[in-house]
Amino acid sequence: MLRRFRLEEPESVAEASELLGRFGDSAKVYAGGTELLLAMKEGLAHYERLINVKKLKKLSEVSADESTIKIGALCTHHELETSPMLQQKLPALHKLEQNVANVRVRQVGTLGGNLCFAEPHADPGTLLMALGATLVAEKSSGRREIAAEDFFVDVYETSLEVDELLTEIRIPTPTENFRSAYLKFGYLERPSVGVAVAFNLNGGGLSEVKIAVGCAGPAPRRVPEAEVLLNGKSKEEAERTLSQAGESAGRASQAISDLHGSQDYKEHIVGVLLKRAFQSAVT
Amino acid sequence: MQFQKEVEIAAPREKVWNFIWDVDRFIACVPGCKEAKTIEAGKKYAATMVEKVGPFKVEFPTSIEVLEREELTRIKAQASGADNKIGSRMKVDLDVNLREQDGKTVLGFIASVDILGKLAALGHGIIKRKADQVLDEFAQAVKRRLEGDS
Repeated sequence: MLRRFRLEEPESVAEASELLGRFGDSAKVYAGGTELLLAMKEGLAHYERLINVKKLKKLSEVSADESTIKIGALCTHHELETSPMLQQKLPALHKLEQNVANVRVRQVGTLGGNLCFAEPHADPGTLLMALGATLVAEKSSGRREIAAEDFFVDVYETSLEVDELLTEIRIPTPTENFRSAYLKFGYLERPSVGVAVAFNLNGGGLSEVKIAVGCAGPAPRRVPEAEVLLNGKSKEEAERTLSQAGESAGRASQAISDLHGSQDYKEHIVGVLLKRAFQSAVT
Repeated sequence: MQFQKEVEIAAPREKVWNFIWDVDRFIACVPGCKEAKTIEAGKKYAATMVEKVGPFKVEFPTSIEVLEREELTRIKAQASGADNKIGSRMKVDLDVNLREQDGKTVLGFIASVDILGKLAALGHGIIKRKADQVLDEFAQAVKRRLEGDS
């Protein structure tokens, strides 16, 4: 049962930011509500004020140019899974969005909300790290860009300041040689492990390899320990090194034992998924 | 959930022992602990524990009972509390021990923590991680406090 709260409906990002700054911990941004309202109905969290940002239509826009794909933070997973532009330019993210949670969540849940809630068993943050995304945070007095890998601080915690809103996700537009994939595995409602891999592949082999692991630990994270093992290698050499890179990524994933699997199990799955994600990216 | 922690403090054992019983100073080292009061000196205490994991905030009014006390060596205590707002309870069995080592004092904790109710829905991994952080911060705060004014 939901306890009483006051619904604020700001008409601009600046006004929303001002409300957040004024009411601090007693207020929370409300977008899709798929995580927040669940927690509130369970009585696990309570806020005196919810700041409804759904009417800020500018935050639902998607655009792409030669250098950057821009996704408004309020885009729902459904809007992204049905975006022809995303399907063409970023098939890995498009496929991820098709498989977020279930159809009810995808219909109203937003990409920005997913990132800001920082639930450890969420998919998008992991792939966005591998894609080299930056997240735009705005408040009444200005805006800044945060690298996806600096956004997640801990379980349910991000580097957003109290009066900041996530307004846009920016991803470098992939070049012809760019390859990426995201795979997840789990046996409960949420995934136990998610692995994202991205790199450039040309005649000289792999470059700018980025690997990220999510769901296993408190927050998604890049695993440079595994990236260096593949960077600069030819495709064949990289394939032979994948087991080693998988073990390295598993160890670096900060996996914790919980209902989704033991630490050892998750570390092993990281290795398995890295191999499969790599194969999926190169084919 | 079981927790074990040791911290080496450059201070004599008596000083560490006396510090533990100085409720106001001791409680100041426990992250999230407020409104501590003595119900019966050396035996019963009360405090409120406030912890936060992202949007989830719990507030446990907690009663602490000292079960055994071995001068300068060991304290066995039990703490229990309930957060009725979110319908959760916690129980902590705490074993605190002191020993001398190379002119320093080693302060050790063994804690057995049970969390019941909705809070448990957050998952064992997350709660254990948070409790580990709290215990770490506490041990470091005790060390700073005791070494700082020695």
